[in-house]
Amino acid sequence: MKRSIGTRTEIQTNGDVAISVKNLHKSFKLPTEQAFGLKQAIFNRLRGIKGYKEQKVLRGLDFEVKKGDFLGIVGRNGSGKSTLLKILAGIYYPEKGEITIDGTLVPFIELGVGFNPELTGRENVYMNGALLGFSNEEMDAMYKDIWDFAELNDFQDQKLKNYSSGMQVRLAFSIAIRAQGDILLLDEVLAVGDAAFQQKCNDYFANLKKSNQTIILVTHSMANVKKFCNRAILIEDGKIIKDGDPKKVADAYTKLWS
Amino acid sequence: MNIPRVLNRKNRILLKELTKTDFKLRYQGSVLGYLWALLRPLMMFAILYIVFAKLLRFGGDIPHYPVYLLCGTTMWSFFTECTSQGIQAIVNRGDLLRKISFPKYIVVVSATLTAVINMLINLVVIIIFALINGVTPTWSWFLIIPAILELYLLSLGIAFLLGSINVKYRDITSIWDVLTQALFYAVPIIYPVSMIATSSVLAAKVIILNPISQAIQDIRFGLITHETITTWNYLDHIILAFIPIIITFAILIIGALVFRRKSKFFAEEV
Repeated sequence: MKRSIGTRTEIQTNGDVAISVKNLHKSFKLPTEQAFGLKQAIFNRLRGIKGYKEQKVLRGLDFEVKKGDFLGIVGRNGSGKSTLLKILAGIYYPEKGEITIDGTLVPFIELGVGFNPELTGRENVYMNGALLGFSNEEMDAMYKDIWDFAELNDFQDQKLKNYSSGMQVRLAFSIAIRAQGDILLLDEVLAVGDAAFQQKCNDYFANLKKSNQTIILVTHSMANVKKFCNRAILIEDGKIIKDGDPKKVADAYTKLWS
Repeated sequence: MNIPRVLNRKNRILLKELTKTDFKLRYQGSVLGYLWALLRPLMMFAILYIVFAKLLRFGGDIPHYPVYLLCGTTMWSFFTECTSQGIQAIVNRGDLLRKISFPKYIVVVSATLTAVINMLINLVVIIIFALINGVTPTWSWFLIIPAILELYLLSLGIAFLLGSINVKYRDITSIWDVLTQALFYAVPIIYPVSMIATSSVLAAKVIILNPISQAIQDIRFGLITHETITTWNYLDHIILAFIPIIITFAILIIGALVFRRKSKFFAEEV
C-alpha cells in the first residue's frame, strides 16, 4: 500500500511570505466495516475488497499568507478547515502538494493538550508547557503570570478534575498565550470563560493584531473575522471559493445557507 | 528521525515530562503508591519461590537459588512491562498525537522508561537480598550493565515494531499478552538450564540462544554466581554466542525502520 506524500518544509528567511500552499490535496481512508482488527483485514484481503472508502477532504488548495497577516479561515462543518490547519501544523501529512512555512510556527489546535484530570494544576501547567516547547526554567519564570492571568491562584495544587470546565479552559488559555512564535495557528479558541475573561482574551487578540506576528484563525464567528482579520478565505468542499476582504468573505459564508 | 533532532532540547524536556507523568499516574490513587513498584515483583517472586523452589525443588545445586530466581523474575517483569507499555503507548497517547506535532518515538520511549525506573528500584532490592544471602561483590557485577542494556534495546525494538502495527490492529495487544505467557516458559526463569540439559543438551542450547534468556543468564552470571550457564560458557563455538545479540539488533533496527515509516500516519489512524 503506497501512499504518495506531499512536502512540508520549514525555512527561516527574510522573505515576505509566511506560508505558501500549492495544490494541496488530502484524503482519508474511512473503514467501511464496523469491525476493526486483524480478522477483518485478512478477510477483506482474501475477498479482494478494500475495506475502506476514500474521503476527499482537500482538493487542491492554493494560497499564500504574507508575514504580518491576520488570516481568517471560515467554512461549514466538514469543509476541511481543521484538516488544513492540522496539515499546516505538521500533524497530518499532505497527500499531494507543497507547503512552505517561513518562521517558527506555534499551533493551538486545541487548548490544554495533554491535560490530565488526575494531576494537579501545577503539574498540568508544566506538562502542557513542555508540549509547547518550554523548558522547566522558562516555565518557572512565567509560572506566576500564568496563574495571575487565569485568576486561579487558589487552585494551583488541586487536581484538575476538581476544576470546572470554564476554569480548565482559562488555565489552558493562560499557558497558550505565553507561546512565542512567528506564526500562530488558532482553531476556534477565541473567547473562552465568562464575560470578564472573554474581555481579556479579546484584548490579547487585539494586541496580536497590532504585533507583526502572522496569525491564522479558524472560526465560525463572523464577528471575530470582521473585527480581527485583514483577510479571509472561505472553504467549501475542500476548495477555496472566496478569498480576500473579510467582510465580503463573511457575507459569502452567510449566503451558503440561503 | 535524523540525529540532531533525536535528542534536541525540546524533545528532551518533553521526554522528561511525559515519563514523570506516566510514573505519577501509574500509582495514582493507590494507598501504597510507589511501593507497588517493589511489591508486585516481590509477590510474584514469593509465589514462584514457594511453588518451584520449596514444593517442586527446582533449584537443584544452584548456589543462592532464591536470589537467582528473584533476579530472573525481576528481569522478566521488566521485559514484559517494557514491551506491553511500549506497544500500547501510541494508542494511549492518541490524544496528544492528534493535536500536536512532535517525534512520535518520544511517547514509546517515555512509556518504557517507567519500566526502567521500576527495574532499577528492584535491582537495588536484588543486590540487598544477594548480600544478605552471602553473595560477595565482585567486579563481574558490572557485566550486568551491557546485559540490561541489551534487554532494554530488545524490548524497545519489539515495542516499536508491534506498537506501530497495534495502531491499526489492536489485536496485537492481546496477541502479545498470550505470547509473553508462552515465552515465560521458554525462558529459563523458574527452571535452571541444567535441568533441561539432563534430558536434552540441544534443547538447553536452543533455549539460551533466545536473547531474553541470554540477557537474563548474563545478569545472573555477573551478579549472583559464575556457575550460571550462559551462551559464552556453554555453546561449542563462541561465534554462536553472538546469535542472540544479532537477533536483538536486527529487531531493534527493523522496529525503528517500520516505526519511522508508519509514524507519519499515526495521527490520522490512531
